[in-house]
Formats: sequence, C-alpha cells, structure tokens
Amino acid sequence: MGSNASIMLQQEDLQNICQQTGFTVKQVQRLYSRFKALDKRDCGYLTREDLQCIPEVNINPLGERLIDVIMDDYGEHNKINFKQFIFLLAKFRQGKFKSLITEYNTRESKLRFLFDMYDRNHDLKIDRSELLDVLKMMVGGNIHDDQIATIADHTIGELDKDGDRSITFEEFCKTLERIDADEKMSMKFLS
Amino acid sequence: MPNRPFFDNLGTILLLAIVNTLFNTICIGLTLWGFSHTSLYGGTHFGMLPCFVFAALISAVDPVAVLATFTEIHVNDMLYIVVFGESLLNDAVSVVLYRMFDSFAKIGQENLIASDIILGCLSFFVVSLGGVLIGIIFGVVACFTTKFTEHTPVLEPLIILVYAYLAYLTSEMVSVSGILAITFCGMVMKQYVSFNISKKSDATTEYVLKMLSSIMETIIFMFMGLSTVSDHHSWNTGFVLITLLSCLLFRVIGIAIFANLANCWRLLELTRIDMLIMSYGGLRGAIAFALALILDETKIPRKKEFVTATIAVVFFTVFVQGITIGPLVKCLNVRRKQIEEPTMSAKLTNRMMDHVMTCLEEISGSGGSNSLRDKCRNLDRNYFKRWLLRETPQEKMDIKLLQTFKKINMQSAMKVHDTSKGLVPAPSSSAIHTSVSGSNLRPESTFANFSQLLAANLPEQTVPDLMFFESQGAEQYRDDAQMHHFLDTNLYRARPRAAIHLRSQDETAGSGEANNRFEKSYHHRNHIYIPSRMDKEQTHGRKSGKTGSSGMTRSGASKTALATQAHDNTHSPRHSASSVPKQQHTKGKSVSPIPHKKKQEEQSQEQLGKTRSKSPTLSTDQPLKPPLPANEVHQPSPPISIRIDDEETDVAMGGATAAERICPWRRSSVPDASRSTSASPVNDPSNSVQASSSNVTDPHIHPGPLTSAGFSGSYNKSSEYMGEYATTTKPEEHLQRPHIRDLFANQSRIPDEKQENDTDTVSDDSTTHL
Repeated sequence: MGSNASIMLQQEDLQNICQQTGFTVKQVQRLYSRFKALDKRDCGYLTREDLQCIPEVNINPLGERLIDVIMDDYGEHNKINFKQFIFLLAKFRQGKFKSLITEYNTRESKLRFLFDMYDRNHDLKIDRSELLDVLKMMVGGNIHDDQIATIADHTIGELDKDGDRSITFEEFCKTLERIDADEKMSMKFLS
Repeated sequence: MPNRPFFDNLGTILLLAIVNTLFNTICIGLTLWGFSHTSLYGGTHFGMLPCFVFAALISAVDPVAVLATFTEIHVNDMLYIVVFGESLLNDAVSVVLYRMFDSFAKIGQENLIASDIILGCLSFFVVSLGGVLIGIIFGVVACFTTKFTEHTPVLEPLIILVYAYLAYLTSEMVSVSGILAITFCGMVMKQYVSFNISKKSDATTEYVLKMLSSIMETIIFMFMGLSTVSDHHSWNTGFVLITLLSCLLFRVIGIAIFANLANCWRLLELTRIDMLIMSYGGLRGAIAFALALILDETKIPRKKEFVTATIAVVFFTVFVQGITIGPLVKCLNVRRKQIEEPTMSAKLTNRMMDHVMTCLEEISGSGGSNSLRDKCRNLDRNYFKRWLLRETPQEKMDIKLLQTFKKINMQSAMKVHDTSKGLVPAPSSSAIHTSVSGSNLRPESTFANFSQLLAANLPEQTVPDLMFFESQGAEQYRDDAQMHHFLDTNLYRARPRAAIHLRSQDETAGSGEANNRFEKSYHHRNHIYIPSRMDKEQTHGRKSGKTGSSGMTRSGASKTALATQAHDNTHSPRHSASSVPKQQHTKGKSVSPIPHKKKQEEQSQEQLGKTRSKSPTLSTDQPLKPPLPANEVHQPSPPISIRIDDEETDVAMGGATAAERICPWRRSSVPDASRSTSASPVNDPSNSVQASSSNVTDPHIHPGPLTSAGFSGSYNKSSEYMGEYATTTKPEEHLQRPHIRDLFANQSRIPDEKQENDTDTVSDDSTTHL
C-alpha cells in the first residue's frame, strides 16, 4: 500500500507537504492511503457522501456539522482533494515541542477550528442561534428547546464580556485557558 | 477517584502496576540476596527465597498511604491517577508474587521444579482477572438491586456497603485479589448506582464511607505504631539500610524505564518532573507490614529482621517522603489540580472537543483513545444503562451537561433566596437587583422582572407574605426547601409569565402587570396550567395575528404551538367555519375585529376549542411526560414546564408593540372567544355572551384579584376551567407539590385559578363582576 501511494503522490508534492505541515513521509503516505480508501469512486477528491459513509461520523452528534466545516472551509464546491485534506489534518498534529509546531498546528489554529464549528456564517462571532444549533445537536432531541435556550443564554452570559450577546474569538479562547485545548485537540498520527 | 483520567491512562497504569512491580521485586530480591553473601549483614544469612518473599512484600506501593498523601498535595489529576492507579492494581501482582514465593519457601528451594514457576505465572492471570471479574459481577448485581429499591431508600446505603464487602470477602475466599475486586466493584457502582438511588442515600453512603475509611486508616497506622513499640525487634543495620536504599533506587530506575516506555504511545507525555514525583510518591504502607507479620517463622527464619526492616521502610517512606513531597511539589512547580467552578461553557467545550476529535480520528483513520471511549460510551448507553438504570436516559441526552446546568441554577437560586429572605421586613428591590444581576445568570431583563416581581409584590400581596411569615417560625428548613423549589421552578417561569401578561393586558396597568406576572408564576409552578396557557397563547396568536411576536421567538415551544395550531387547522374545515381558517392562516397584523366576524370567530374558536382540548394534551403531554419518567432525578421537570416560557419572555421583551397589536383584539371583546376556547365547549356560549361585556375594565381588575373576596362566587364558574383542567392535567402533578400549594393556601389558590382564567380571558372577570 505504501509503495502504491507514493507513486500516486508526486515526489516534490510529498516533500512540500512534509515541509509545510511537519508530517513525516510515512505519515503522509498513510494518510494518503486512507484518503484513497475513503474515496470510493476514485476520482481524486472526497465528497460529502464519502465522508458520511463512515459509520462513526454518521452517529456522531456533531458529524454533520464537522462535515460542513470540512467541506466549506477546506474544500470547495463540496469536494476536498488530498492536499486540502492533509492541510486540514495538519492542524491536529501535536504541538508539544517547539520543533513540531508549524504554522498549521498552533494552538490558535486548533481553537480556531473549534470556533468555526460554531460560527457558520463566518462573522467572527458566535451568536445565540449558532450556539443553540450546536447545543441541540449535542444534547439531543428530547430536551425541550426552552431548556436548551436557557443553557445557551447561560453560556453566553458566562463568556460574553463586552455585552454584545455574542462570543468573539478572544472570549472563546478565554474559556479554554483552563482546559488544555492543545492536548485534547491533538491526534497521534500513526506512521 | 476520577474515572475518566483512569481509563485514559489505563495503559500506563497497567504497565507500571504489573511490570514495574515485577521489576522491583526481582531487583530488590537479588540485591538483598547478593548482599547477604557479603559481610554487611553482620554475618546473618538470608536464603534466596526468603529474600524474594521479602522483596515481594516490600516492593508494592501502598494505596492507603498514597491516597492519604496525594490528596493533601493536590497534584494534577493525571499524575495522581497514575500513582494511585498503580498502587491499586499492583495488588494483584504483589499478592501473586508473595504467595508464590511463600509457597516456594514452604516447598523448600531444593524441591522446586519448573512447572511450579510456570503455574506461579499463570496464577497471576487467574488472580488478577478473577478479582476483576468478581468485582464487576458484584457491582452489576448491586446496580440491578438498586433498580428496584425505589420504595425502600433506607436499604440503599446498606446494599452498597454489603455488596462491596461481599466482593472483597468472596475474592479473598477464593484466593484472588480482593483489592482489585473492590476497586472494580466500586467503579461499576459509581456509574450506575448513583443514578438509581435517592439523593439522601447517595449523601449517606458518601459520608459513611468517608468516615469508615478514616477510621480504618487510623486504626491501621495505630496498630503499626503499637507493634513497633511492643514487639521484639531484631535490628540488623545493614539489612535495613540496604533494603531502604534499594527500594528507593530501584523505584527510581523502574519508573524511569517504564515511563519512558509508556511515553512512546502516550499523547500526553510524562515529563521528568512527573517521573520524579511518581518515584518519590511510591510509599509503602500497612499492607507490607501486615504481610510481613503473617510470615511463617518456621519456614522463614529471618522473620523478625524482615518485620523490623518493613517497619523501618514504612516509617521512612511515610514520614520522610510523605512530609516532604508537599514542599517538593510546590518547589518543582508541578501542575496542580484545578479546582474550578463548573462552568457551562467549559463543559460544553469539553464535550464538543470530544465529539470533534472522535470524528476526526475516524476520518483520518488513526484510532485513538477518543474513538475507543466513544465506542464504550455507545455500548454503555445502548445496553448497560437500559438494564441497570431505574429510568433509562433518553437518547443522546447529555447528562453531565444538564447536571452542570442544574447545579449552577441551584446556586444562583439559593443566592437569590438568601438575599430575598432578608427582605421580609422591608422589601427593597435594589437588594434583589444587585444580588441577582451579580449572579449574571440570564439576561438582565429577566431579572429585572423577577426582582420587580418580588419587590412589587412583597408589600402588597398576602400570598408571599404568608410564606415569609412562615419562615419566621420553626419551619425554617421546610421554608428553605419550599423557597428553593419555588425559585427553582420560577426562575424560569417568571420570564414567560410576564410575556403573557404583557400581551394580554393594557400596558398602562403598570403595577398590575407585575402583580399578574407574579401570580402567574405562582400559578404556573404547576405543570397543569401550561396546556391551558398554550391554548390561550395560541388563541391569542391566532386572533391577534401577531406575526411579529409569534414569529419572533417561537422556537421549540412555538413549534409545538404551531403544530397544534396546524393540527387544529386541519380540524377547522370540519367545523365549517369559513372564517376560521382565514383567521388562522393570516399571520399578518390583526385586522380590527368586525362584529359579525367576531361572532363567527367566537364560534369557530369554540369549536376549535373542542378540538384543541384534545390536541394540547397531545402536544403538551410531551413536555409533561418526560418529567415524570425523568431519568435524572428532577432535572428535566422544572425546566420542561418552562418550555414555552423562554420564548414568551423574549416576546414580551421585544413585544411592547405586540401588546398594542393585541389590545385591539382584546378590546374588541374577542377574549371571550379565547376564554371559550380554553373552556370546555359546554359553557362556551354562556361565557362568550358574558365575555363581550367587560373587556375594557379588564386591566383594572387584575391588580386586586388576590385581595378581593368576591372571587369565591366566580370560582363556581371555573367549572369549565376545571373541565378543561381535567383533560389536560395530570393528577400526579398535584400530589407532587403539596407543600407549595399549602403554602399559598386555598384562598390564594382559588383566586389564582380565577386569575389564570381572567388574565387570558376576560370572561371570568366579567362573570365576577356580573
């Protein structure tokens, strides 16, 4: 599989990718084979349906939203090719040591991703409706909207420092000071 | 013990517990035996097997000592759980090794054959897995038992204690690891039993166990101290020193090797400082001492030396290491445990990150602890929770999130309560304002209402005075609970109630509004009222065609309302009121009611009321039902009844103009239609006729409902209300809250009900005055 993958991937591309994202060659190749496995129609890009085929993504409460984010922010026209795929995943590399941090997997970019999961209209603010959407997805359909609304209001009340009833990126990051977002949002990429 | 870090770090913990302990045992044993050939021991000879026996019992880290020390120093969870987890799980290894070497010593070194050693190794697996299995079985049986103890809460702490102890006894009886059994029994119980048993049992169990464990720890160490001074010791300086040094040394080496090994797969690597703390925190304790004491002197001639050395090591580690580890932690700046308030945003973000990472791990094909945890969680939810929990949680409901929310609300509610209590003699709205806004629970407008409510009503209303008056008496506690409950339910309700009044009244009735809001909130602490509320709500919406307000908020509750509306709409043709569908479907600004149309409307409304008396039950049953089988104790119940409320608050807030829109409707004597709709069909005609008369005076009626005694007559009129009531209420709801009902006494109840009818439908007022 490894040799196959490397043939498909141009050598210079590979080097480029490794340099920019900080992945090792092996990791890139492994991810490439994963990409090919997901790409059932073998057309060089992934579509929404391909991602939805993954069973765990389907049952995950935030699966839909994640696919939205991936497709809108990282792919174009409902397609994502391998380069975009790997740049997306590069965000989640561990940034434990200085040497491993590239411009992609800084703590800020990880938090930014999370912020984007909320903020679908890209106005750099999370307002009540967006928060409500995410809450509904996570909490499930049997909780009444009233209760969810109260939770959302409460959350906004906690985080909103400037009183505009919406959460900016800075306020969002403030919450995550205590939580070690960097570690939680990292993946160990097998090579 | 924090469960999640335990399972996150399980690999590391197992590695350390098993392999590290083994490594320590072998090294220490060999060292001791090696040194016995030298002259350091002053000539006493130690055989190889006795040395290994001793090494087995001395190398195990003691959970009691670790627990006692680490809880004081508050290191971060991960470090704590690694050391503590290791100390728990190494019981299996040390038990196996101890027994193995002990029996080898009994057999005698000469008689050993290879199969003995192999069987010894196999027994490790039997011991550890058997212990775990027995623990889990007893845990599951306990959970299953508590499923049925709903009516005998007194038994619950007993069940927990008994089953845990049984697990221990059983495993000791079959010679497997008792500590492992208890550990896993406790873990299983924690997941399920705490949801099944009542809050009181939960608290009882917690405190009883804490007390018992303190007592036991003290007894153990006291026993050790006593035997130190009373036993005959045989002090062998060389032996003791070598033992001590080798314990320390090999612990450090062992940790260094295995922690680095674990770092290969760990996401969060163990730093050098972590490793130092881990090795420094390896305290020996009473288990070693007890094992030393039960050695057979005939087979192991050096028992006295062993006992002495054990005591020395235990004392040294506990005193010297235990005392200095605190300053060491501070000095080395080890990450401490974060003790923080549970914030909704933190919990929410945590959950979100979990979900996101699980998903991403799947997409990228690199399975991690996230996906594993997710799988376990799914398994848990689909199978275990169904069987073992008393009430199964609903699909996808995030219990922890709601628990946090509940906790926060309780805190805020109690804050308000505490300040409001002081207001009894001299109500001052400012006090409430400051305290309430300080807690920053919700939009300021909400609190403004609530504080206005309390402030405005305290001097005027008899009802709240009663409550506070009571609190002066001996029923402080009861009142606390009641107030708590009141606040709990009304924190939510206050908002929506306000909305309804705002909409249904003239805005000129300033204080009246506040009064009504307050009364409404008192009314609507019962779920019962909600269906009728929604009915009237819908009617209002339909009648006045307040697109603005209805379109404004109307998320969940409104959807339900709309659903029923739609439902009714489908029924309307049946009733052949041609104007009705038109009225219903026009969501535009309300047309000024034309008299003839009004009549039709009323009729259609009545008819609709008939149908609606059914549909609300369908739709509003939904919110009502979940509270009853509420899985999480009472959490959903108050909020759910608030369902509609939130929306309406917003409506009210932004709905100043909505009131305008509603006013024409109101004045045009349509209210009776709404009144009739809410009422059962029987009395509709009479009501509608009566209702038409006294619209204008409505707002002025409200200020004095509670005080006017004239309502007793009109109470009879509320039979239709009762009729509707009967269709949509649940009797259990009544029973559930008798205390608050008593609180507001029957005199207020009746007018309250009247109020209920009045505010939404003028007809009741009209009947009163007629």
